[in-house]
Amino acid sequence: MTKVDIQDKILAILTEDFEFEKPGLDDNLRDDHGFDSIDAIELLGKIELTILGFSLTREEKEKAMGIRTINDIVAYIEDIKHSRSK
Amino acid sequence: MKRRVVITACSAITPIGYDKDTIIENLRLGRSGVKPLRDDGLLTRHIHSRVFGTVDYPIEYGFKRHFTKTMGPVAYYACQVAKDVLKRSGLSQDFITSGRLGVAFGSTHGSPTVQREIYKTFFNDIDSKFSSIGAVDYLRSMVHTTAVNITRMFGITGRVIASSTACTTSSQSIGYGYEMVKYGMQDAMICGGADEYDTTTVAVFDNLLACSVNYNTTPHCTPRPFDTNRDGLVVGEGGGAVLLEEYDSAKKRGAVILGEIIGFACNNNGGDLILPNLDGITATLRLALKDAKITPSDVDFISAHATATKMGDVIEAQAIAAVYGGKPLVTGLKSYMGHTMGTCGVIELILTTYMMERGFIAPTLNLENVDERCSMLRHTRELTDTYTKIGAIQNFAFGGVNTCLLVKNAGEVH
Repeated sequence: MTKVDIQDKILAILTEDFEFEKPGLDDNLRDDHGFDSIDAIELLGKIELTILGFSLTREEKEKAMGIRTINDIVAYIEDIKHSRSK
Repeated sequence: MKRRVVITACSAITPIGYDKDTIIENLRLGRSGVKPLRDDGLLTRHIHSRVFGTVDYPIEYGFKRHFTKTMGPVAYYACQVAKDVLKRSGLSQDFITSGRLGVAFGSTHGSPTVQREIYKTFFNDIDSKFSSIGAVDYLRSMVHTTAVNITRMFGITGRVIASSTACTTSSQSIGYGYEMVKYGMQDAMICGGADEYDTTTVAVFDNLLACSVNYNTTPHCTPRPFDTNRDGLVVGEGGGAVLLEEYDSAKKRGAVILGEIIGFACNNNGGDLILPNLDGITATLRLALKDAKITPSDVDFISAHATATKMGDVIEAQAIAAVYGGKPLVTGLKSYMGHTMGTCGVIELILTTYMMERGFIAPTLNLENVDERCSMLRHTRELTDTYTKIGAIQNFAFGGVNTCLLVKNAGEVH
């Protein structure tokens, strides 16, 4: 899955499941779309199931708490995939 | 400080309708909301009772996902009736978020539908879904889910009381909300309860031999409060909310007053958690009269708990006779919709205010032959056009909890 594929998948999830309207890659998830801690946990579950195909460790999940934008989400997923492939 | 407490808005989702006119029409025409039990693919085939007080009409909620993510079906009912009462009340947004408005709201279980999905994951050992069990499922199924989803949706910052005392859940919520306003702890309270469609509750009562089983092919013929041929309760679903406000401020802002809560009592039988207790119930009825500073002869109408169980109706009839004699009209409103569990108290209060406003008392449905042990009461046997000044709403719950609310007709609130 390429970076563009991941980006498209995340945009689809945010639009369809989280009812984001016209999400921008650098939008602030919380301020611009009302994304909260509950959404973050739910999104991680969807990332595990539909993009990564494996369960995240607690340490990996904690790293996601610094995410602020969609670009951050994509970078986070790429980083996880890269770390796991080593 | 003791202040007067009035009802300034209400809303009920019931098996006999949602809007006021539909509910009143069904009460006047004697239409039942009891329907066949739906197949849940789990428990239904094991349950002997095949009837349920069902909300089978569409409701347009229009809630955004931002809110629904923490809501199970029970919270949909709760937030919908809370939305209605806030809209109808005309309260300002500033007041709603001021901390002077609180919420007293509950349900029997939280959300059994959500809990059932969690159990499926555990019992089927579904690893892939394990990560989905988390904060959201807890927020949807926790016992105070209705109260806090209401505060979240409307930005309410006052006190939260989340009663969960089975069949007295919403009557207790109203009573405690009334006391919050009466003693000046809050200026207004949204009070009520909700319970969603749930076969687990049916299974519990079925196993206790307390559910109706003889009218499975004619659901509208059961439950039959006080009737010789009653054979148990019918579980139901629904939601209801009332807005309680301090009288002077409600009057000052020109609010429509729907009734006044003039008394409340709640006690416990102090022993058996299931069997009805004559001493405990009788004491509750007397304590409510004392709280309202009225005499038994002041009460014109009693909305009896009357679940149509063999012993419960007899004990309640004895308690009513001991306190009131045979003067007030007595109706078992559950005959129209079954036992809506945590919701029954608020629904029965709202229906009582509807009947007070329209000048009638609905009869107990299916009361064809009064059980001779209950015959000392003045049962409402037919639609009765009458003016009711004061009504009593009685509810009793597993755990030995008893409540009684006394409500005054809006026409008497001066």
